[in-house]
Amino acid sequence: MDDLEQQLRNALAHVEQPPTLEAKVFAALARARSTSRPSRFVFWRFEAAAVAAMLLLAAVSWAGHEREIRERAAGEAAKARLQLALKITVTELSKIQQTVRTSSEQE
Amino acid sequence: MIKLAIITCLALSPLAAQEIKLPANLDRLAAKASDVVDVTMDSRLLQLASRFLSDKEADDAKVKKLIAGLKGIYVRSFEFEKAGEYQASDIDPIRAQLRSPAWSRIVGVRSQKSGENAEVYLKTDNDKIGGLVILSAEPKELTIVSIEGSIDPDQLNDLGGHFGIPKVETNKDNKDKDK
Repeated sequence: MDDLEQQLRNALAHVEQPPTLEAKVFAALARARSTSRPSRFVFWRFEAAAVAAMLLLAAVSWAGHEREIRERAAGEAAKARLQLALKITVTELSKIQQTVRTSSEQE
Repeated sequence: MIKLAIITCLALSPLAAQEIKLPANLDRLAAKASDVVDVTMDSRLLQLASRFLSDKEADDAKVKKLIAGLKGIYVRSFEFEKAGEYQASDIDPIRAQLRSPAWSRIVGVRSQKSGENAEVYLKTDNDKIGGLVILSAEPKELTIVSIEGSIDPDQLNDLGGHFGIPKVETNKDNKDKDK
């Protein structure tokens, strides 16, 4: 019985920790932090690059769309001006033809 | 200095390309006119318009074919509230340019009754029509049309009845009517 009591006492007795233990724990924590930080940075960097690329793509696409709208408007305006010019030309030729015809009929 | 010369040349190049130069005094008439039509289409604008003419639509295809050989179309049309707002001499600078051997007057109409005075000039290049100028002067209306480049008058006639362009009665139509 005394023997068992003694064993328990020994087991529960306060043992002084070695002075290097605390330093080892902090060193282990620091190592863990230093190994996990770069992977998080890489992820964020990749994400930022992807967002930037998407923004760039959207901007290029928008600029192209705007240019297309401007070109279409300019083309439609040119077409309308062309039609007006041709309308005036043909109208004037028609009037001249009519006058010539009328005068030749009178003769 | 060289830069300035290059810029000046570039700025004036469209004017230099225009064969029949419309006099600056026509711009003064615009101030007196009640209605003004000013259409300036150089080859660049004609090409742009051509891109928006469909090959599949018959009307568009006709116009596309017509303008394929053109270098420019210039139209100035003025309508005035009353007669005498412009002088016959206002278009003398154009007539002077048309006196060159390349140009020939094919029609000249002068009506004492209506006061109409119209002329049609054609430019011929190796038996091909290389330009057309119409000068139409009425008491309250003055119209100048200058078309540069290869043009087929029959194609112009074909445009009649399309795009709101009035149908032109040709001799062929009249013969058909007589039958």
